[in-house]
Amino acid sequence: MLPRALFSTRTLSSCGTAAGLFLSFLAAAPSQAAQKSSPSEPAGPRAVPVSAKLRPLLEEHCQKCHGAEKQKGKFRVDDLPISIADVQTAERWQKILNAMNAGEMPPDDEPQPDPHQKTDFLEELSLTMVSARKALGDQKGVIALRRLNRREYRNTLRDLLGVEMDVSELPADSVPNGFDTAGARLFLTSNQIETYEALSEDALLESFRKHSQPFVSKKHRSEPESEHPVFLKRNAEAIKDIENGLAWNAAVDAAAEAPENAELVAGLRKIAATPDALRYHWRKIPGAPSPVQFGFKQDAEINPALIYRCINDQFFRLYDAHYLTLPKLDSGAYLAIPNGNGIFGGTSFRSEIRLSIPPDFPPGEYIVRARVGAAPTAPAERRFLEFTLKSGFGAPAPALSVHHITGSLEEPQVIEIPYTVTRSNMERGHRHLIFRERGTSVSQLYQTLFHKERARNGFGPEPALWIDWLEIERQPPAFAGAASGIRALDLPLEEKTVSVDPERLRAGLGRFAKLAYRGADPGPEEADRLLAIYRSRIATGDKHPKALATALSSVLSSPQFLYRSEPDAGEQHRLLTGRELAVRLAYFLWGGPPDEILTTHGQTGALLKPEVLSRETTRLLEDPRSQNFTKPFLTQWLSLDRLDLFQFSLKLHPRFDDVAKAAARQEVFETFGLLLQENRPLTDLLKADYAAVNGLLANYYEIPGVSGDTFRPVPIPPDSPRGGLLGMAAIMAMGSNGERTNPVERGAWVLRKLLNEPPPPAPANVPEIARLAGKLLTARERLQAHQEEPQCASCHRKIDPIGFGLENFDAVGLWRVSDTYQALDGNGKPDPKARKTWTIDPSAQLHKGPAFSNFHQLRDLIAQRRQPFARGFAVALTEYALGRTCGFSDEPLLQHLTQTAAKDGYAVRSFLHALFQSREFLSK
Amino acid sequence: MNTPQSRRHFLRTSSALIALPALESLGFRRFASAAAPVQRPKRLLFLGFGWGVTQEQWYPSLDQPGAGYTLPESLTPLARHRKDFSIVQGLWNRHSANGHYGSTFWLTGANEFGEAGQSFHNSISVDQVAADHLGGDTRFDSLVLDCGAAANPSGHGIGLSLSWDSRGKPMAGPKNPVEAFHRLFARDDTPLELQKALLAQRRSVLDNALENARALQRTLGKNDNDKLDEYFQSIRDIETRLGREEKWIGRPKPAPPLEEPAPGLVGYEEIRLMYDLMAAALQTDSTRVITYRQPVSTLLTSLGVRIDSHTMSHYHGKGPEYLEASLKRDWAQSELLSGLLDKLKSVREPDGSSLLDHTTVAYGSNIRTAHSLDNCPTLLAGHGAGLKMGENIVLPKDTPLCNAWLTLLHGAGVPLEKFGDSTGTLSKLRA
Repeated sequence: MLPRALFSTRTLSSCGTAAGLFLSFLAAAPSQAAQKSSPSEPAGPRAVPVSAKLRPLLEEHCQKCHGAEKQKGKFRVDDLPISIADVQTAERWQKILNAMNAGEMPPDDEPQPDPHQKTDFLEELSLTMVSARKALGDQKGVIALRRLNRREYRNTLRDLLGVEMDVSELPADSVPNGFDTAGARLFLTSNQIETYEALSEDALLESFRKHSQPFVSKKHRSEPESEHPVFLKRNAEAIKDIENGLAWNAAVDAAAEAPENAELVAGLRKIAATPDALRYHWRKIPGAPSPVQFGFKQDAEINPALIYRCINDQFFRLYDAHYLTLPKLDSGAYLAIPNGNGIFGGTSFRSEIRLSIPPDFPPGEYIVRARVGAAPTAPAERRFLEFTLKSGFGAPAPALSVHHITGSLEEPQVIEIPYTVTRSNMERGHRHLIFRERGTSVSQLYQTLFHKERARNGFGPEPALWIDWLEIERQPPAFAGAASGIRALDLPLEEKTVSVDPERLRAGLGRFAKLAYRGADPGPEEADRLLAIYRSRIATGDKHPKALATALSSVLSSPQFLYRSEPDAGEQHRLLTGRELAVRLAYFLWGGPPDEILTTHGQTGALLKPEVLSRETTRLLEDPRSQNFTKPFLTQWLSLDRLDLFQFSLKLHPRFDDVAKAAARQEVFETFGLLLQENRPLTDLLKADYAAVNGLLANYYEIPGVSGDTFRPVPIPPDSPRGGLLGMAAIMAMGSNGERTNPVERGAWVLRKLLNEPPPPAPANVPEIARLAGKLLTARERLQAHQEEPQCASCHRKIDPIGFGLENFDAVGLWRVSDTYQALDGNGKPDPKARKTWTIDPSAQLHKGPAFSNFHQLRDLIAQRRQPFARGFAVALTEYALGRTCGFSDEPLLQHLTQTAAKDGYAVRSFLHALFQSREFLSK
Repeated sequence: MNTPQSRRHFLRTSSALIALPALESLGFRRFASAAAPVQRPKRLLFLGFGWGVTQEQWYPSLDQPGAGYTLPESLTPLARHRKDFSIVQGLWNRHSANGHYGSTFWLTGANEFGEAGQSFHNSISVDQVAADHLGGDTRFDSLVLDCGAAANPSGHGIGLSLSWDSRGKPMAGPKNPVEAFHRLFARDDTPLELQKALLAQRRSVLDNALENARALQRTLGKNDNDKLDEYFQSIRDIETRLGREEKWIGRPKPAPPLEEPAPGLVGYEEIRLMYDLMAAALQTDSTRVITYRQPVSTLLTSLGVRIDSHTMSHYHGKGPEYLEASLKRDWAQSELLSGLLDKLKSVREPDGSSLLDHTTVAYGSNIRTAHSLDNCPTLLAGHGAGLKMGENIVLPKDTPLCNAWLTLLHGAGVPLEKFGDSTGTLSKLRA
């Protein structure tokens, strides 16, 4: 570990035991605990000491001009407080750090500090400043009132109204290096309130429509072979066109060769040298027939290119001929190579097989099924089927899901895909669900395959996937009856409703509001106001559902709905009520409101008993809704959104297409989900003898014997680079720019996320090293420059060695032993003279730590540091759960979490249970 | 004035009365006869571009202060406007320390760590100060434009736009040309009486929310109420807007001087359209203060650059393709700005002068290049605030950027003594 702020270690030892005692006491008798122990809060921020190690450099190099006698720039360093306890002192120390980082101080004409001394000085001071900022910003356990963030808002609407809303109009609420649950940063603007009003009104109307129509089952099956006759006709025409075209060519050529035309043709050849060009002048050649006589349309007379194009497409006829020899064409269809994109002219068959949602299928939950088999010739990497909704214009829609086809022509498999039909599907052009072979929507990928296969067999890639039929079937609603909000409302919702008894209306509005406010009673006045809104809408001509939606949208944009309030009348750190705890727990583990069981346990107060809390926690974690915790938590904890920051070059990395990227990201979620479900050790993330993969990802990693779409742990040999976060393609791909690796990004990520030694924020105003611009260097040589300047070395001596050790992973996480740098010339084209290839040297030495000679040794070194990793995880979990940053006042809690988990072999659930039983989680 | 404006508004304007030429501050134009020669209203535009510039090719030489400087490579597309803009060098926000925040503090000068017990702090941005004074007579007191999801990878830092309100909270606004067009020009064909009824209904919905907030307020402690205050403020903002709408009821929005933009345009075309819309907003006098946090990441993509924008901003010491990308970015941004200036010059005011004669464009970022925050790029254009144009203005190193903002405010007729961490105005900027 680094010498972090001296202070944190000191605090830990003094508070650890007391906290443990307090917590066990609390678990036994929660309500008493709150009364008896009111944690004393020191006034003002804690002082962060500045190490005496900084003194010598200041005295030697600064004090002469910034001391008692002289104060250049009205700045002196000799009287600087030796601990930072207020913003003003922090600013003075920051000024020193800035001036040194910018290379401004000491001035060039003064003696300069020894580079090593300066490096250590900068490292120490930057880390001190991070600690000081943290101490000064410490919220001392106060959780700012939390607004529902964007995803919680969406989940809550879904729960209340049973509809899925597009919430992209709202701000994402995500912040760099933080969590979208942090109350203090969940701002609100007037724009946003208006968006809430509009969104909730839409949601209400959609929900009313959905709930006022009785469930009618719907099912539609499509047989793709039914389109074959159309294609066969098209194919026959194309073959005929080629014959006709060749015949016309021959007829014109014969006329041109007739001796009586020799002189004329010789003249024409001067302007039209090739036979194709000559035939453009067919009218001038006596005896040459019109293309019309050969079955072509009139426009071919002027533009014989139309004829040539048919002839040039001949190899597609070879492709089609091959297609027609395939078995089982009478009962299904194959996915063909893409056509119609203007590059390939065209095969007669389809690369996308379509299932259109019939117009009378209402919004709701559906299952899409496909009966599919792979051709015996299909290679392993071509046994993946993509499913998506066809996009109207422009680029092809990215796949919604991808499926590993393990069935054969004889024994096809049936794939089932849950699909939600929404109102947006009702628009024209948004009803076509399509299936296509993986990669065929990316022309860059497909062209490569096409040319390769055509060179081999003369016509192109053999069709790989065969579809027997496609089907879409409506699913009955998951719950008996309606969504929770609609049940609470208990009012007629039909368009034709003319009048509703006002008392019934008032009662319904009140019940809905109470549910929306998570159990807080809105009171009779609010019900009256809502009724008044309803009536005034009716008076201006609105129908019943619209008037009701307007009144209720006022509920859904009220602060009691938007904020998860935990009332307190000045009493500091009171215990939560059962109801509040149920809400806190549900929004943490499900990103949404509690269900009926949890609500009941909350209302009765049973949830306050540790054993009930523990049981409910387990139930919530085992519910599929817990992915509303794992996905956002992991995405933010591990900064996975970096995967979307840039486009991966398919030219350089053809195997990392969108579906591979999605699967790589899913691996992170699935691995953590596995740890959570099976209560495995958190430290499996550092190193493991298994990897959680599905068929597609196993194919990517070249792990044999894995098939299907379900992720599951697969044993891997000890010499494999996989197993643990560092072996995951998603993690390594984030440490790149989509083309080349970025060892600095990777090293910094490891320090931040795995070793819990986050480097200080990149300092401002450090002079850039431009000396190496345009030079042909290995990645490592280029980074050596960091070691030359103390301003850079103070952080990079820790970051870069780790990055070097990961260089065997290329930009998309595949294993490699060599690397190439290809410089581009002024036109962006590769410059053949500026190219360098080298064998990767992954060996390095951790700063003030052991040396390693390869990735496996580096991984082992990192995997030994279980405690810092566990602590980093505990911090992230606590911040995410409590909606605030961890301050120094949280040291006892963090200590408790890591120690409890350590005793349990770092089992993942032990962190969670310890957190749930803690004072911080249980109190306001 | 018989339309009841909010009391807050009145208080604001009355304080401004003391120092301002009275006629102008009261929106004299509206009462004066058309024949009276009146000064055209002053307008301010703020355009922020996140990840700095290619410093070697963007800044004129420090050794060539004044009008005779050699126009740097990256500013070449602006050559035809040379007399209408100045580059100001030596400015910075001294509290800014985060090399990834090009916009968070650009218009505020605040200290992120300035408030003990808070992990983040900001204060009002210069445009909102101006809007308080210049925005009284227009349909919108200011227009806050943003680039939505592209902002995060574009080096802007925390925030929802360039603008921060009087309590240092981020402000939001239209995030693409279509939204901006609708905000400015969407026509409401509802009959007048119904419009009034709907407005009343809108108020009753807000009243319910406000009552709900008050009920909640009574149960909460101080910390929570500080947060809930954002809700009250937002409702007040909507009410202010409704008050304005009421004032404008029966006066239809102006006919748009441009066609409705096609949806889905990103990058270069998106910025160009936003600029057109800004010119249109000024031309129709819909507002007099506009900020725009423009995209960099998607600008690069639209230029065919595949390097991500953060890596691009660290072009130093990398391969030539990074420098190439950075220069492409500079060039495109200058071209776009040049187009905006063309537009502002081409629009004639009733007195025959051009819109640019009454407008000042502040164009820049808190980031110079990579993580450097000193001498942050600052380009001022237009003749609306009496600033010196056509020069390479070299100020002493580390002059507070807020001094420039204060000078700009004074020039636009906003008589503030201090803004942000300003220490005074800059006479070298004045014409």
